[in-house]
This record gives sequence, C-alpha cells and structure tokens, in this order.
Amino acid sequence: MNTTRHWPKRAFILSRALSRAFSDTPSPTFPLKHVTRSNFDSALVELRSHVRAADFVAIDMEMTGVTSAPWRESFEFDRFDIRYLKVKDSAEKFAVLQFGVCPFRWDSLKQSFIAHPHNFFVFARQEIPLDRTSYEFLCQTTSMDFLAKYQFDFNACIHEGISYLSRGQEDEARKRLISPKGDQLMHPSYNLRETTDLSLVRVADVLFTERMKKRLGEWRDDLLQNRVGGPQEEKVPDDLNQQFRTVFFKMRPALSLDGFTSHQLSLIRMVTRKHFKDLTYVCFNGESTSEELVVYTDSESDKARLMEEVKNDHQRRAEMKINAAVGFRHVIDLLSSENKLIVGHNCILDIAHVHSKFLAPLPSTAEEFVSCVNKYFPSIIDTKILLNADYTLQRKMKRSSTSLSSAFSLLCPEIAHGFTHNVLSYEPCVKVEVHVDEMRSSNWNSGAKHEAGYDAFMTGCVFAQACSHLGIDFQLHSPSENLTQNEKLQKHMNLLYLSWINGDIIDLRTGNRSAELSGSNMIRKPYRKILFKNIVLLWGFPSKLKPSMIRDCICKTLGPTSVISTYCIDQTAVFVQFSKAELVSDFLNLKETLEQSNDAISHLHPLSQLLEGGNTRAASYETYKEICASPISKVLFADQAEAVGIKWKTELLPSDKEESHDNTRSHLESAMDSPQAVEKSKTRNTEDVVNDSSNKRFCDDIIDSFLKVEKIRRTTNL
Amino acid sequence: MVALIRRRFFGTKISPNSHRHKLQWRVKQVTKSNFSDSLQEFKSHLSASDFVAVSLQNTGSFSAPWNRVSSFDSPETAYLKVRRAAERFQLLQFAICPFTISGSKVTAHPYNFHLFPRDELNIGMPSYSFSCQTSYLTAMARQGFDFNACIYDGISYLSRAQELAAKVRMANPISLNHVVEASSSPPTVADTVFVERVKSRIKHWKKSCTDSTSKKIDDALVKSLQKLVLGGEQYGSRPCMTIDVCSERQVQLVSEMLREFFDDLVALKIPTKGGGTQAVRVVLTSSKEDKSLLERELQNAEEEQNKKMRGFREVIELVSASQKPVVSHNTLNDFSVIHSKFIAPLPLDVNEFLNSLQSIFPHIFDVNHMMKGIGPLENVTSIPAAVSYLKNRFFAPIEMELSQGALLDESKIHGQTVVRICYLFAKLCSVLKITPGSIQSSDGKVLDGYANAFRSCSGNSEESLDGGIRIWTNSPRKVDCKDLVFLWGFRNRLSAGMLKSLLQGSHDVFSEEFDVCLVDKSCAILVFFHPNLSQAFLDVMNSVEISGSLRELVSEGLRAADYDTYKRACSLGLWETDLASSLDKASATPDRLSQSDPETKPAEIYWCNDLIINLDDL
Repeated sequence: MNTTRHWPKRAFILSRALSRAFSDTPSPTFPLKHVTRSNFDSALVELRSHVRAADFVAIDMEMTGVTSAPWRESFEFDRFDIRYLKVKDSAEKFAVLQFGVCPFRWDSLKQSFIAHPHNFFVFARQEIPLDRTSYEFLCQTTSMDFLAKYQFDFNACIHEGISYLSRGQEDEARKRLISPKGDQLMHPSYNLRETTDLSLVRVADVLFTERMKKRLGEWRDDLLQNRVGGPQEEKVPDDLNQQFRTVFFKMRPALSLDGFTSHQLSLIRMVTRKHFKDLTYVCFNGESTSEELVVYTDSESDKARLMEEVKNDHQRRAEMKINAAVGFRHVIDLLSSENKLIVGHNCILDIAHVHSKFLAPLPSTAEEFVSCVNKYFPSIIDTKILLNADYTLQRKMKRSSTSLSSAFSLLCPEIAHGFTHNVLSYEPCVKVEVHVDEMRSSNWNSGAKHEAGYDAFMTGCVFAQACSHLGIDFQLHSPSENLTQNEKLQKHMNLLYLSWINGDIIDLRTGNRSAELSGSNMIRKPYRKILFKNIVLLWGFPSKLKPSMIRDCICKTLGPTSVISTYCIDQTAVFVQFSKAELVSDFLNLKETLEQSNDAISHLHPLSQLLEGGNTRAASYETYKEICASPISKVLFADQAEAVGIKWKTELLPSDKEESHDNTRSHLESAMDSPQAVEKSKTRNTEDVVNDSSNKRFCDDIIDSFLKVEKIRRTTNL
Repeated sequence: MVALIRRRFFGTKISPNSHRHKLQWRVKQVTKSNFSDSLQEFKSHLSASDFVAVSLQNTGSFSAPWNRVSSFDSPETAYLKVRRAAERFQLLQFAICPFTISGSKVTAHPYNFHLFPRDELNIGMPSYSFSCQTSYLTAMARQGFDFNACIYDGISYLSRAQELAAKVRMANPISLNHVVEASSSPPTVADTVFVERVKSRIKHWKKSCTDSTSKKIDDALVKSLQKLVLGGEQYGSRPCMTIDVCSERQVQLVSEMLREFFDDLVALKIPTKGGGTQAVRVVLTSSKEDKSLLERELQNAEEEQNKKMRGFREVIELVSASQKPVVSHNTLNDFSVIHSKFIAPLPLDVNEFLNSLQSIFPHIFDVNHMMKGIGPLENVTSIPAAVSYLKNRFFAPIEMELSQGALLDESKIHGQTVVRICYLFAKLCSVLKITPGSIQSSDGKVLDGYANAFRSCSGNSEESLDGGIRIWTNSPRKVDCKDLVFLWGFRNRLSAGMLKSLLQGSHDVFSEEFDVCLVDKSCAILVFFHPNLSQAFLDVMNSVEISGSLRELVSEGLRAADYDTYKRACSLGLWETDLASSLDKASATPDRLSQSDPETKPAEIYWCNDLIINLDDL
C-alpha cells in the first residue's frame, strides 16, 4: 500500500520537543487514537463503553471547506434567517474528513478526568448501490491547503476512511431489501432474464446449449451412479472440466461454473431450468466474489428448501452489508442514544454537518433545524458561548480571543504547555489524564492541532476548566449525578452562535434567537442595529465603481443623508442601507424609470454612472435571501444572481404607482444641481439654465473639456 | 465437507489476480519540487518529437446519471454536458508524452504532472472550490494515488484569462516600452497644455537630480527636504518621479513625450487595482548602460512573475507554441478541461469553443475516433479493449522505447494511460497505413480525416463498414432529433419494455414502429422511426381530445417534451439530479433559444436499440 502516514512522526516530534522543554520528568507521549476502516469495529466497541461511562463528550470535525463562494461568508448584514441558510449551504456542500470524539469521565479516586481522544477518518463511499445519491462533495481550495499545512493525511482519509449511511439512506436500503423488486436485485437467480427465454438465434448458441445439456446430464447421471455405487476414481480433468468442478453447496452436490461469460451463464441457466427438474441454478454471492453453481436436489421439496436457504443467505448477507455500510453513523447514534452532554466549540456548523450527513437533509428554516437537533441531542454546550457569557471566565481569559487554541492555552496551561506549576493561578487546574489504548498519561499533549481528535480533546479540557471556574466542583459530584442537570450550566445549555460575527445566539430548545447576553465579550463593537427593510441590494454595476462612489452617486440623487451605510458583498455586489424604508422603493422606482426612458436627461442623471453598462440590478433584501437559498454557488455574486434565474433589472416593490412617479420627478429635478445635468439640459430646457446664472459664463468648449477631465478623474481615481 | 468448500472459496479469491500481468512503464512524476528542472527536460523532448499524447485525471465527470454524454446527445448538448463537468471538477494529474514514430518503433518520453489549484498569489485563483466525485477518488485510491503528494506538492497554475486578471489585480508596474502605440487623434489644446506641464516638471526634476548628484550632497536632511520639494522618490537605488495621469490618452502622451526627449529615462506604468492606469513613474538612470541594465532587470522581474503565475500552464504554452499534433483518447472531455483550466472559461457555444481551440491546438487526434475508421466499434471505448481488439485482428508490432526505461517501479506507475495512448496511436497509424512522417511534411493532410473530429456521440463518421466485423446485432440507425420525444412522470421503476407495451395500444401514433429507452429512472426517450409522428404525439399530449389509455397515463402524470426542451435544459444549466425535474423546469421557461436562433439545424444522432451507457469511464 502506498499510504503514507504522517501522524505518528509529527505527533512524536512535537510532543517530544514540548515535553523536553517544559517538564522535568519525561512524560509518555503517544498519538491519539486514529480510527480507520481497519480498526473501526473494535474501536466502536471500546468507544461504546467509554461514552456510556462519560460525564460529557467533546466533539470536533475537519471539513473539506467552509464557504462555497466568497459571498457566502458570514456578513454583518446577514439577517438571522440568512445566517442559517449560509450554514445550511456549507453543511450540504462540503464533506467531513475527520470526526473527533473525546469522552471525558471524572475519576473520583484519581481526582482527575479521564479522556479518550478518538480521531475518526471519515469518507463517504458508495458501498451499497443506492440510486439518486450522487456522492459528490465540494472542496474549498484554501481549506485543503490549510489542512495540508497542518500535515493532514488525505491518503488515510480517502484510502482508509470510514464510510457511512445517513438514516434516510439506511431506510431506503432496507426498503429495497424487503420490496419484491429489491429482492430481485439482491437475488440474481430471480433475474428477469430467466422469465423470458433467450431466443437461440445464433448457431453457436444452439450448439453450446446442446453441449451443456449433455454435460449436465452426464454429471447428474454420474452423481446418481456414484450415490449407488459408492465413491469412484475421478476422471482425469481436461481443459473443459476445469470449468466444471464438483463441490458441495449447502450439503448438496453441486457443480461450480467457472470461466464462462455472462451470456454463456444465462444459457446454462436456461438449460438447467428447461431440461433438469432435479438441478437448480444458484448464484451465490460470497464476500467479494460471486459464484455460479448448478446444485443437485433430491426432490421438489428439497429444491424449495434450497431456494429458501439461498434466499435467506442473501437476505442475511444484505442485512449485514447494510449494517456495515452504516459505518461511522454508529458513532453518531451512540452519542444520541446515550443522551450525554455534547461539548463543542463554536459548533453550529459541526452540528449542521451531523444533521445533514447522518440524520436527515437540513430543513429550510433554522427553527425546524433546531427542534430536530434538540430531539437527537437534548443537551449541547458550546464552549465559545460559555467563555463569552460569563464574567469570571472573561476575566480568566484576560479578554483575549476566544478561539479554541488560545482558550486552551490560557485556561489549561498545564496541559497545553506542560507546566507543572502555575504561579499566576490560585486554584489548581482540573487534571486530565489521557488514555489511548493501553497507554496512559496525565500530562499528554500530542500537539497535533487541527486534527479533529485533538481539537475535541482541547474543547473538552476547556469545558472542564471553565466548569471549575464557574464553581462546579467535580469532587463533590457523585458519578451518577448528571452534568446536564447542573444548574450552573443551565443558562448556557443548548445555546449556539448562529453567527459569531454579530453574536446572534439561537436557543436549541425553543428556537428563539437573541443577541449576546449581557456581560458579554467587551472587545466586540457595539451592536449596530440594521434595518433590513431599509436595504437595497445592488449588483452587476460597472466594476470600477467602489462602494463609496455608489454611495456618493445615490446621495447626489436622494439627498446627502439618504444613505446610512454601504456594505460590500463582493466586487460585483453591494448593500445600501437607506435612512428610511420609503427610500428603498423610491430608489427602485427611480432606477426603473431611468432605464425605461432613453432621453438625454436620463443619461446625465447622477445615477447613470451606476447604471452604466446596462447590467446593474437592484432589489430588496428578500431577493438576497432567495439567492442565498439557491443550491447553486457561483464565485461572483452577480453570476450567482444570473444563475438563480433573475432576469429582471429592478425588483419593484408593491407600492402606490402614482405617488412613486411623482417622487421620481422631483428627484430628477433635484438632480439638476450637478454640472453635467445643467449643461446638457440647456439645449432641451432653457428655463433651467437661465435660472442657474452661475453656469452662464461657461463657453461650450471649456465645459466640454472640464466634463471630460471630471469624468476621467472620477473613473480612474479611487 | 466444510473444509472442501472453504478451500474452494479460497481458490476463487486468487484467480482474478492471476492474469493481471500488465506491462508497466516508468513515467516521470513531476511535482512542485522538480517542476522547473523537468520543464527544461520536457522542452527538449518536445522539440525532438513529432506528436504529443495527453491523458487527464479529474476528480469527477458527472453529477447525475443523465449528465454524462450519451448516444442521444447532439454535438451541442454533448458539449454543454462536458462543459459543465470541466467547470465543476478539478484536474489533479496531467500526463503528457511527446513521442516519435519511426517505422514500428515509438520513442516516448512520458511525464506525469501532479496539479493542485493552490492559491499561490492569494487572489482566489485559479479556483475557489471544486467538486469531487467519491467514486473517482476511490478508484484513484485503488490505483495507489497519493493524495498527500498531490495536495501538498501539486503544481498550481493560472489560465491565460486568469493571468490577465491577476496582473490587473496585483497592479505591478509595467514597463511602458511594451505598451505604446502611435497616437490616433491629433492633440487637443488640453493635451498640449498637459504635455508641456509634465515636460517642464520632468526637466526640472532631472536637472535637480543630476545637479545634486554632481554636488554630492551628503546631508540626509537636505536630501529628504529636496525629496519633499521635488516630489522625487527612489526606485531601488535610482531616483524616480511619479506623474499622475487621468486617462490612457495621457499615458500615451507622456510616453511619446518621454521617447522624444530622453534616452536615460525609463518609464513604468502604475496600474490601478481596477485595471486602469493610475500614474506613470519615471526612473532616472545614470547612463545608457545603466538604462539597459534597469530595463533588463525589469524584464527579468516580469518574466519571473509571469512564470510564477503560469505555473504548470507553461507546459501547455510550450505544446501550443510547438504546433505539434496532440493525441488524446477522449478529446471532447480532455480539451474542454484544458480550455477551461488553462486558456479561458468555456464559451456557451460549441462552435466558438472549437474555433478557440483550433487557434491553440491546430492538430488534434482522437484515437477513439480513429478506431472507428477500422470498424464500427463504438463500444470499444476503453484503451485496453481497443489495444486487444487490434492485437487480435491485425499484425502490427510496435516497439516502445521510453526515455525513463521500462522498469516496474511501484511509485512511478501513475500516468500509464498516456503511454498506452502513444502505443495505440502508433498501432492505428500502422493499421490504417498512415506513415507518420507524411503528417509532418504535408501538414497533416493525410490524417485530416481523423484530425479534429470530436467524438461526440452524434458521430459524424460515415465510414463504410468494410473489413470490420459487426459486433452489434442491432446496428445503429440514424435518427433525426426531431423524431425524439422525452417522456417522464410515469411510475417509478418502470422498465423500458413495460413502458413500451403501455404506450403501444394507447394511441394511433404508436401503430408505426417506435422504440423506448430509459435515460435515467425518471425519464425515458421515445423514438419514432417515421417522420412527423413525434409532432403528432406531442400535439395529442397537449390537446383536450386526448382519450383512452393515453389519457389515463397523462392523468397519472405522464409528460412529454421535444428535443428542443432537452437542449434548453442543458443550455440553461438545469442540471437537476433527475432529468425529469430538469425537463419540467425547462418546459416552464419560455423558449428563448429558438427565437434567437432561427436556423435550427436538423441534428441527427445514431440510435442503437441497445443504448448501452458506457460504465468503464474509470
């Protein structure tokens, strides 16, 4: 095998270096438990007992990517429902490569936690034929590169990763097994071909059939003779006899057919059925090979018995195959059925992956998602929520970043750096002893960051330490007492960041969402209220336009205070937040009017700069949601909108037409202040120019060149 | 007894492997670390060879069963399917083999380049993300593919189009000498004013620079003050000045002015991030020699940058520049990938694609298509099958000589296919009595019949079947696309035969000969062998007078659409999992295609009763 395994070397070198640097007594270091196809069954048995005994189970995973397009990243301007759509898109498109599971158990004798970090390599293969499922996944180039930087072992994953079936897929497979049609598929001896006789058109076929008839007859006659006359010397096998070998199948004499083409086999099958009442054609599927046999049966009832036996065999085999194909999902089922406290770090995406890969396709709304998750995993704690919500923890963290690795090194310095003493902290750290197979270590550090199993271990350590800071004394707890019932944890239980960017939290029990709790992270900018109904989405505008220019452009038209803010989605799209909701429809109507009319005035309107090229689209915030909900992912937002099938240029909001038309007129007039408009409109409407006396003295030439320079400056600068 | 059975099973397990004694050729494996060395070697091998064979390893080819090119596809739809795959999946290995045929001897130099679309320049290119088909990855794993080597050390690249975009994005200064062309319009007053002002500024600045250097002011303060006053900066060790410009016109004026008056100044264009020009930077050199030195420096820096950006594409550029004939096994697939990854995004129109490709690779040979010249072997699609077919029927010994030697080495086995393509091509040339030497001399006229014939399943081959043996009991029939009707909305898991018998008595149109075949489990294709019946059938399906069992079927959800609807589904990119839902969507959208394209060419496909979907793509 060509698989190169990087993990032991990396872990070994790193941990060796660390242990040498920080601890006097060399601690035994060893890699975490890597689980692949080959050791999955035994690992699962062990994990079952570990999880059953655990107080909580920390999880983490590595995926092939996070966002399927740059504009799918998390934005400040994302509404609650959009955030869920983005999480959903990510979980649906990318694959999980590694799944870290680390059960933690409090050992009251040792006064320490016992952790069993497991690192599962996961790779969804098509192990049993199921139609419809496409088995395709997306890779984000930067994510793959990131994993490569941390020496992720892709070979182990693709060559040796554990496959899985979701609940839905398993149900489908079982359904096919019991349905009559599925029976046919699993049981080739009932193949359709059998019911329709092959018409013997070719001479070769006719001759072959005759020969087979003779041979089978001879064999059967021999058999009957032998039965009467006892064992006899076998004939010298010639070339043809290699193809027929007498074996025993289910305690009956049988002829094994070897080296025939499928066409020949179907001819033999036909001959058997047509001419021999006491012979049965059986296709027997072994572990990896399938075998074609002609079996001798004593009587009709014996034949029926044989068929029944074969059928049962097939059934059992298929059953086992499905069970094996469920693969890694057994781990998820285990976590769900044991009702343990699940601990993750900023884990909404992880949970969404679990839902979409192992439970069911993700529902379209966050509320449905949440209620389903809550059903399968009634208690989940997010350490990121915990760290940001509690003041004492905030102080402990010295208000630094709450990323997993920094939380780990701040809260668990003993484990992270191997310090055996910590001068700064008054209370001792929670001890964690790591068990991997036969090996044990009380200051274990594999150092393999971004290895899911190790990240899960770090998450668990952070959680244990945070609990102790919250005043949960593990020593007082009897092993039977459940952490999920702990009142100090209750207010943090089942809360997840739907988006970390602006602290939107969703409650898994109720589906309610809330802004971050009071006493939250101080470094965060004060929450800016965004009014989504005041927002216009713009895309397809000339690429040279920057958001600030778009803002200027609109301000010139709708007034200097009309635009509160602009937000860049990508280079092709921008959000514009207006000060009033009416301005949204005003803007959309104005744009529509300008595009409809083709006269000089619309060309000179300040907005014309924005509409240049004729591809500028504008819509309300709801269209953004529609675009985000699409399964398509083009790299650029403008291409995405086109792919989603948006053909209109401006999405007009249902509003009073008369009024909006008036508005448009007044805006057009107010736009006359800009020099271009004034200058060119002179020819059309002399009154305006007369009123504006300041422009009179310009001769046409000067204005011309001025305009040119002005325009050039605007297009090239910035 | 049990023991006997056990032994028996054990025996069967070994047997399939016993006859797998394939010849393994050593192929040079190229990754990031040995790329530049290998490139030089490849260059010399390429120039010494007559042909180049290519073979590609992608991460997938189709997302749904109906997405693969099949026999009912017209060239347009086949291209659209291939286009989608090329855009969606990633190329991980590019095996390329320059080779020469002399008599029965083939001299080949196989290389296998490992690619990964790493974002080397941090600009989101060449690819933000890509799809992988699990079955492709597992098949690659079975062949011992090293994914770590590929992702850690794969060579990156940018397409021609991406390189242009990247240059704009990175906004590196460009030497002005390359970009100047003669002014088109006479200078206006404003132009003259601008030129005069810039000229005097430059004169002043130059004078002060040369003055100060002659005076040798060492005082740092004075120097920096001078810098402030004069607006002068340093470019490396040389003084320089930036002239702000507002338009390309002004860039032109500045460069013309500089050319007229100075021979010790080097001008650089400073682009904006958006692609325009922000300023012209003028660098003062001390002498003519110094000037040429600087120019060389700039050129080298640019070349270095270009090389870094192109990455693997350098190989493609070399092949394209050599104008050598390129041989491939599945040209439509391979060259759509090559075009999309290394040239530019694929156009929507197949002819536009072919034109663009023609300009880059003038001679392309498809061994699959050449096989058709020997016999109607449309089902001999895999290379080993083709090789054994030829071996059994023709005496055409081919001797392979490889630059790397023909040693069996476990780690060097990737990219074998490309050598097999060379071998197959040489054998075909010999069987078809084509002397490869004549290809060069007569500019490919001899092989013209085979060159650039893209094997889409519509197959424009009209070759006579002489000499070949008919493998098909059912020979393919030529069918006009107009006579095809897509049917969906029937009961799940209905076989083609059952559907046919259901339709048989349902209406008069089915009294004539017709055939049914399943495209995927949701959709069937209906072919009428008599003209105009398809239209009649579609009319019936849409009329209120529909009656009998057909009415019953329609009430149960049966729907029908013509071939144009299918085309529309492909061109609108409605690649749903089931063809039925794609057709549903396509029939819901108004027919824009036929309006824009009134001259709908009558397309034809070959219909064979055994619509076998080729499963040995892997």
